[in-house]
Amino acid sequence: MKPDQQIPRNALVWIIASQFSLVAPHAGRIPIWVLAVYVFAALWRIMVYRGSWSFPGRWVKAGLIASSFAGIFFSYGSLIGLEPTVALLLTAFALKLIELARHKDGYVLLFLGYFICITEFLFSQDLPIALYSLLNVTLVTTALVAMHRPGEHQFNRKTIRLAAVMLLQALPLMLVLFFLFPRIGPLWSVPIKTHTAQTGVSDFMKPGDISSLGKSDAVAFRAQFDGDIPGASELYWRGLVFSTLEEGAWRSLRYFDVPPAERRAPPVETTGESLQYRIIIEPTQQNWLYSLRYARPTSPGVMSGSDYVLFSPTELEDQRLYGVESWPDAILEPELSPWRREIELRLPGTDNPQTRALAGQLRSQAGSDAAYVDAILAKFRDEPFVYKLDPPLLPAENPVDAFLFQSRAGFCEHYAAAFVVLMRAAGVPARVVAGYQGGEVNPLNRTVIVHQFDAHAWAEVWLQGRGWMRVDPTASVSPDRIEWGLERALEQQGGFLSDSPLSLVRYRGVAWLNTLRLRYDALTYRWQSFVTGFDRDRQFQLLNEVFDGISVRKFLLVLAASWVLVLAPLAYSLLGRRRAREQRNCDRYYLQFCEQLAPLGFVRAPGETAGEYAARICRAVPAIAGEVGEITRLYSELAYGPVEASSGRATRSERELKQAIGRFRPARKMRFDRDPR
Amino acid sequence: MTLDQKRIFIFPSRIGLFFSVCLLVMLMTAINYQNNMSFALTFLLATLFIVGILHTYANLSGLTVRALRATPAFPGKQSEFSIKLERGGQREHFALYVKYPDSDGSVVNLVEQDTVQVNLHLPVGKRGWFSPGRLLLESTYPLGLLRCWTWIDLDLYALVYPQPLAAAQLPGLASDRPDGAAVPIAGSDDFYGFRDYREGDSLRQIHWKGLARGQGVQTKQYGAYANRSVWLDWEMYPGLGMEQRLSHLCYWALEFDRAEEEYGLRLPGLVIEPGLGERHRDRVLQALALHGIGTRSR
Repeated sequence: MKPDQQIPRNALVWIIASQFSLVAPHAGRIPIWVLAVYVFAALWRIMVYRGSWSFPGRWVKAGLIASSFAGIFFSYGSLIGLEPTVALLLTAFALKLIELARHKDGYVLLFLGYFICITEFLFSQDLPIALYSLLNVTLVTTALVAMHRPGEHQFNRKTIRLAAVMLLQALPLMLVLFFLFPRIGPLWSVPIKTHTAQTGVSDFMKPGDISSLGKSDAVAFRAQFDGDIPGASELYWRGLVFSTLEEGAWRSLRYFDVPPAERRAPPVETTGESLQYRIIIEPTQQNWLYSLRYARPTSPGVMSGSDYVLFSPTELEDQRLYGVESWPDAILEPELSPWRREIELRLPGTDNPQTRALAGQLRSQAGSDAAYVDAILAKFRDEPFVYKLDPPLLPAENPVDAFLFQSRAGFCEHYAAAFVVLMRAAGVPARVVAGYQGGEVNPLNRTVIVHQFDAHAWAEVWLQGRGWMRVDPTASVSPDRIEWGLERALEQQGGFLSDSPLSLVRYRGVAWLNTLRLRYDALTYRWQSFVTGFDRDRQFQLLNEVFDGISVRKFLLVLAASWVLVLAPLAYSLLGRRRAREQRNCDRYYLQFCEQLAPLGFVRAPGETAGEYAARICRAVPAIAGEVGEITRLYSELAYGPVEASSGRATRSERELKQAIGRFRPARKMRFDRDPR
Repeated sequence: MTLDQKRIFIFPSRIGLFFSVCLLVMLMTAINYQNNMSFALTFLLATLFIVGILHTYANLSGLTVRALRATPAFPGKQSEFSIKLERGGQREHFALYVKYPDSDGSVVNLVEQDTVQVNLHLPVGKRGWFSPGRLLLESTYPLGLLRCWTWIDLDLYALVYPQPLAAAQLPGLASDRPDGAAVPIAGSDDFYGFRDYREGDSLRQIHWKGLARGQGVQTKQYGAYANRSVWLDWEMYPGLGMEQRLSHLCYWALEFDRAEEEYGLRLPGLVIEPGLGERHRDRVLQALALHGIGTRSR
């Protein structure tokens, strides 16, 4: 339809810049060849611009599309799932550049760019990503603006200004919509992330599993307490309870392992002080959630399992905020059901004979189960057991024997597993608990930051009349681990965070760096609790507080008011600025006069004086010479004569001029003039 | 004619509707993934769309459109309509699309200069004043999502000459008529009277004293008398229709002009003395074009 629908060069530069900026945060997730496609597409398009190459033909395009599908399929082994879909979108985004010729292609490309911003959020909604995406949106918008400036064949940095201004103007209304738009549940199921190896506690435990987490400084979750933060030695974050020993690995009971009658946890009488806290957990792509014993969820959508752990019915694909109330002093399961007792005592096979013999011997020496527990802990404490991040590997046959009688070096999971085997061999119900222990208190916002290196395994023993008791054999071997954390415990041997030499956590000793890190962490927590925490309930609660009860009328009122408040001043500044040039009345009248004459062929030339202009008209159309002369005389007197006492109101001569111009009808006279006489 | 809020229309363009569909897809993604940042981005783009209304509006608002001129043309030929766009302030205006319903379109910017001239070409119709219709001024700047346009009645008309039509009969015979004996030839030395000022008269011949006395603009006539000149006369083609007569006259006027022979025109109620040159030809053609057309036809 319109001519000149070419993409100006300025726009091309902005489009290519925004493409590279958009793909950058995805770079770690996509195959390397997709990045190569970006470079290739940009080069091709630049060659087209220089006239060296041409746009691809239909078959070349079809070939490129087919090979990118094939490439994604071979890289991911599938086209289904979030990652392959996003990689496919990113490839299409790059290839679209090659055939970018007209405006239409530009729109498709840039709108796809906006959508790619959204796909980034599906992987992370952290503050840096949000800020970076804001930059990306600005770049894409700039490219869109540049596309509508025909004839800009030079790169123009200032184009970004208008885009930024428009986005800033849009921001307040965006916030209003963000808070008011009703949050509804998912409408249909969407492709989820493929389960790549995620750092964290897994649902079964072999020796060495948890020690590998000691090398990671990633944050597992952050907790914020309403009251005082309990001491580090009280922060045992229970995640999983391992009751089953199977082929050398501990695992938790599966749903169908548990008879229906036992699926509900026996009721607990809550006693003592309770702790209230909220946890924001990083995505684990697992179901279980961490809490202090004995925990009851205060958020909807969190379930409680038969062994008093919390879990989410859906896997944690994104950060999740949940609230918990815990009673540390409550007695768990004072009466053990026969099924439960059988499960918590089961030791399959006949391996580890030395351990079994030791258990029988020590149990008979001890007067009670409790005394037996103390005896075992004393054994760990008094004998030369070593707490070590990289202990020697244990044989597949009789691993507990090898650990207790030969290597005597291990990480928490070795001690917890050996302890539970010793208990069960002696007929004391016991199980392994996996989770995190301790955490770093951020004094700035009073949160507890739990890192992956805080991962821990300990034991629970069931004692008559006292229910399930927490016993941590690691505390006997290395009290520092419990009181001060892993770093202090490994001070002599090293190995702490050996895989992340640049981790800021390593430099906790440098005061200013540590303050900076904690400040940033506090900001992260704040952002997360806002972004991930703002769901339907929080929205309802917030709106209820702010508006003192929610009604449709109030909603519409707020919406309308905010729009008027933002858009009215904007409209005024955009559209009302024309009046900036102050004009005298006489000039305005005279311009009206000139405007009337312009369509008749008398356009006042730049620099032509009123007198010259009048003479020209009089010569050409004598019929109106009298009127033109009079108007010109009045105007000249007003414009160039002595200034009359300006009272702000129209003076007499001004009124005269206005009336003269009002009467003036040149078109009519000229028609007459042209008529045959 | 200055554009203000009353004259400007605005509506989402086709691209804007496509963008709305994209926004809907984004919203669905945000809902299905329960992703708050996606909600935020979707709403940011939606409000950008809204804010865009004002910016698109501002791109047209405050512009002044002036008619400059339209070149005369023969029927079916192209006439050039010249229009001037002028901005009211310092604001930059981009991608202003100007078009008459049947003309080619033109895209202009107002960035460094305050005014820009646009020439549009369109074929004209039958003899007389040709109206090109209303001028369309349109813009989708800055985002392309909204189309903002206005229709302007510019009061700009092109003069359409009669269609030249070859006639076998040579009108040169008319020169032998007795009343054609005394024809003044402009440019000679002898003053012989006054007449009303006409376009094309030399400024030196204007009777300034008379003008000062309020007698209107008059031209002093000088001349010699020629014996022979060609008269193109309305009466040469008796029995023919008006349009056909004018067409034949037009044809001969062009022929004589090409042959550089002096010719005059006699129409009912109008006489143009014989003369030569571009101006003379234009006068003759204009007279032929407007014969029998009293006012501008709308």
